[in-house]
Amino acid sequence: MTNWIAPPVDRQSEPMTGDERAMLEGWLDWHRQTLLGKCAGLTADQLKQAAVEPSNLTLLGLVRHMAEVERSWFRTRAAGQDVSRLFGTETNPDGEFDDVGDADAESDFATFQAEVDLARQAAAGLPLEHEFATSRAPAISLRWVYLHMIEEYARHNGHADLLRERIDGVTGD
Amino acid sequence: MTTWTAPVVDRQHKAKAGDERTMLESLLDYHRATLLTKCAGLTAGQLKQHATDPSSMSLLGLIRHLTEVERGWFRRGAAHEDLDMFYCSEANPDGDFDDVGDADAEADYANHLAELDKVRAVAAGLSLNQTFTRNDTTFNVRWVYLHLIEEYARHNGHADLLRERIDGVTGE
Repeated sequence: MTNWIAPPVDRQSEPMTGDERAMLEGWLDWHRQTLLGKCAGLTADQLKQAAVEPSNLTLLGLVRHMAEVERSWFRTRAAGQDVSRLFGTETNPDGEFDDVGDADAESDFATFQAEVDLARQAAAGLPLEHEFATSRAPAISLRWVYLHMIEEYARHNGHADLLRERIDGVTGD
Repeated sequence: MTTWTAPVVDRQHKAKAGDERTMLESLLDYHRATLLTKCAGLTAGQLKQHATDPSSMSLLGLIRHLTEVERGWFRRGAAHEDLDMFYCSEANPDGDFDDVGDADAEADYANHLAELDKVRAVAAGLSLNQTFTRNDTTFNVRWVYLHLIEEYARHNGHADLLRERIDGVTGE
C-alpha cells in the first residue's frame, strides 16, 4: 500500500457559445475532469468501495471503464488503430469493473490520463463527418462518438455523484 | 391513493450518423425516454422513495426537476417566454426535489409530458447558432441541446442507482 490519493483537478468551464466541434470538445473535457474531480482526495481503498450496494460500481471501476471506452471509440473504432483492450478480455468482458480489488489505483489513473491524451490525438485529424463501421452498425460518425462520449461520461458521473456522497458525504456538480 | 403506476414508454434508438441537429434531437429524446423508462412500472410511493440515502433524490424528484430544466432553458431562456417555475421559487429553490412527499405523482408525470410537447414546439423554431443572455452570460441554442443531453444523462445515472435499490431492475 502507498499513501497515494487521487489528485485535485483543474476543471475548465465548457464554452457557452461557439461552433460544433469546439463545444463538443469542451463538454467532453468538462466531463472527463468531472469524473476525476469526483475521485479527488480519496484513497485507493475508498476508490474501490462499492458504496451503493447492490450495484458493484466503484469510482476506480468507472475510471478504468472510461479509459477502456476512450480507447475503444476514438482509437480502435474511429481511427482504426490496432490496439487491444486495457482491462477486459473476451473471457473477462467486465474486467475493468470486476477486477478492481487487485488493481493498482495510481497506475490505473496514469493509464486513464495517457489514454485521454491518445484519444485526443486520434480524433484531432478526423472530421466530424468521418464514418466507420462496427459489427453492430454499418455507419457511425465521429460526431456520434463525441455525443456518445459526453452522455456516457455524464451518466457515469451521475453514478459517481452517489458513490462519492456515500463514501464521504461530498456532493456537487 | 390511486393504483396508478408509471407507464411503459417507447424508446427509439439513437441516430448513429446524420447532421448535427438530427443527432442532437435524437440523443436528447433518447435520454428523455430513458428517464421515463427508469420510472416505468413503479407506484407513486416507489417514485418518491429516497433510495440512495443520504441523497435527497427520488425518481419523482428527477422528473419534476427535468420539467423545470426543460422549461427553464428552452422556453424561459432561449425563447424568452415569460413563465413562472412549476415547483421551485426564490424562497424554495429545490422544491422540485424537496417537496415530493406531498406531490401528486400522476399529475407531475402528466405535467412533464405536457411540458415536453411545448418545448419541442418552441425548439423547432430555434437555430443552433441563435444566442440569448441569461444571468449576464450569453449562450447559444447548441449549448442548450448539449446541456440538456448531459443533464438528463447525469440524472439518468442517478436514476440507474435509485431504481436498482428500489426493486433491483438495472439496464441502459
